Amino acid sequence: MTTHAPTRDRIPTADPPPRNKRRRFSWTPYLFIGLAVLYLVLFAVVPLLKGLDLSFTDTRLLNPTGGTYIGFENYERLLGSGAFFKSVLTTLVYTAFTVVASLTLGTISAFVINRKFPGRTLARAVMVMPWAVPTVAVVLVFRWIYNDSSGVANAATTALGLGERGWLTDPDYGMFSVVVATVWKVTPFVMLVVLAALQSVPEDLYEATRVDGAGSYSTFKLVVLPFLMPTLRVVGLLMTIWSFRRFEIIWLLTGGGPVDATTTIVIDVYRQAFNNSQLGVAAAIGMLGLVLSLIVTAIYFVLELRANKQNGANA
Amino acid sequence: MPTIEFDRVSKNFAGNTVIQGFDATVPDKEFLVLLGPSGCGKSTMLRMIAGLTDISQGQLKFDGVVVNDLEPKKRNIAFVFQSYALYPHMSVRANIGFPLIMDSFKWWHHIPVVGGFARRALMNRKDIAAKITDVAEMLELTDYLDRRPKALSGGQRQRVAVARSLIREPALYLLDEPLSNLDAKLRTQMRAEISALHDRVQKTFVYVTHDQVEAMTMGTRIIVLNDGLVQQYGTPKEIYDRPANTFVAKFIGSPPMNLIPVDIHGTKADMFGNDLSFAPPEVTAAQKAHLGVRAEKVRVHTEAGSGGYPARVITVEHLGSETVVGFKFGSEDHTTEVGARASRDLFYSKLVGDVRLEHGQLCSVSFDASDVLWYSTESGELLDDSPQMASS
Repeated sequence: MTTHAPTRDRIPTADPPPRNKRRRFSWTPYLFIGLAVLYLVLFAVVPLLKGLDLSFTDTRLLNPTGGTYIGFENYERLLGSGAFFKSVLTTLVYTAFTVVASLTLGTISAFVINRKFPGRTLARAVMVMPWAVPTVAVVLVFRWIYNDSSGVANAATTALGLGERGWLTDPDYGMFSVVVATVWKVTPFVMLVVLAALQSVPEDLYEATRVDGAGSYSTFKLVVLPFLMPTLRVVGLLMTIWSFRRFEIIWLLTGGGPVDATTTIVIDVYRQAFNNSQLGVAAAIGMLGLVLSLIVTAIYFVLELRANKQNGANA
Repeated sequence: MPTIEFDRVSKNFAGNTVIQGFDATVPDKEFLVLLGPSGCGKSTMLRMIAGLTDISQGQLKFDGVVVNDLEPKKRNIAFVFQSYALYPHMSVRANIGFPLIMDSFKWWHHIPVVGGFARRALMNRKDIAAKITDVAEMLELTDYLDRRPKALSGGQRQRVAVARSLIREPALYLLDEPLSNLDAKLRTQMRAEISALHDRVQKTFVYVTHDQVEAMTMGTRIIVLNDGLVQQYGTPKEIYDRPANTFVAKFIGSPPMNLIPVDIHGTKADMFGNDLSFAPPEVTAAQKAHLGVRAEKVRVHTEAGSGGYPARVITVEHLGSETVVGFKFGSEDHTTEVGARASRDLFYSKLVGDVRLEHGQLCSVSFDASDVLWYSTESGELLDDSPQMASS
């Protein structure tokens, strides 16, 4: 539509001031970036390099500055011993069970609390609580649950006719007990993130599948799950990294026992450093653990890259 | 197939009635347009036909069979969503073929790996692959079959949504404002394509829109809705020529129909001080009425002594092939009026060609008695004795 609107006269302006050929130098951006860089250097780069440096020495806890360089001896000892590989295997087992269980339960819980039912808000608050409870409190609760003589766990197994178990004292159950406690603690985080992703699935998609004749499981598997996959990949990576470096819950529940059944790399680092006083060896274990984490992260990025490539096929 | 019958259909949401006692019968192969402003209940109506929203009261029948409780997939319908609702992680081919895959889906297709191979085999099955190819060809999507929806333009996505609805050859097509996300040019193109599709497939289409141009150009029948109530049901021509009430008169047409207040004094009808000798007795029996006349039926005269009612030009819009003149009755100068006051009692004339008129110019306007409709001021309803308007 063309309308005849009066044209606005251009307001005469004074000539613009001549531009400075050289831009004015300002310290402000450098100040902001500098603080972040300083933080990273002080709290990430320096400790990392210090750890790397330590790993080539025979430094002991009682004489932290008295270590001498021994080359790759720490690494050779670690890679030549079965104990280190056992702790790596324990870490991988712990991580695999924790991540798979928390992702599965978290996703299911998210679906449950995404539905409309009376008391949904209260249910959400209750289900998020384990994430908010301090680890020490969680450990106390679970130590009580796993108590050999008065714990709920043994009461339940006895009632089912399965007899009593040494949940925290039997090497066959140590890992199981730690994984259960960890999953209980971390699942709400997965649930919250998946719930947020779930709420971003357009309602139209569900309706389109209803019209197209898909059942509820087909809708979940063929439409909703692919929609959630990017979120699940990120949560999976976070849970993996966090499981690799989880210390408190394992240390406080079992201390790495029974019979090293729950000695993960991090527990091993702590033991070598503070129980055996071998800071150098602990640093070397830490470095190898870091390499392992980097490999996992690299695998994640490769998967992510492939998924993105697939999504944008012929884009 | 099918004839759709609405029998006192109502819908309440948490105590609020959004559709009230809707009655209509839509014959087979019609292109029915549900037209109305935002929030009038037209999308709810469409979703009730699809089975995506429950019907609170009344009955919905397909060929005489009550379908109130029938699942959407059993209604043999296709639904094109406003947002297209394409599956973002699937290729165009998989999106189009999805309804057919679901038709052949077995429980064991959920088994990991095995299910993947089975679904792929289904996609490659001769009949399914051929149907996808045919539909893609019909909608010019062949080159994009292996792309994901996000790698398509708005128009292409819209066509994929239509293709997905076509693949199962349903008896009924439901389209919920499918063109509202497209730009003006593409909208015009897609309008023609959907109309052509209706001619080709010869099935019933129910189309929701708030755009009267879409309704008038595509629909074979229109239901005008407002506040959950049917205002008028008829062909586009009927609705344009004889709006059933002042809401329809104002909603259909651009500019909307002029609704000029008329005061009745005895047997005389007075329009801004002008005597209307042609007012029928039924109108003069009332105290007040509204005279309805389409803008294109109003003539503007600039020469003195050419008859008509004196008026002052307020706005002039040059549209190239036509000129829309906004005027007020009387010779009073309105130049200082702004805002709501300026648009009060402003009426329009649509003139053919580029007519030179000045803002504030004195003129006279006229129209024929045969082009006039009369509406009750109280109820807004068309007074029955109004003459049949000449074809516009």
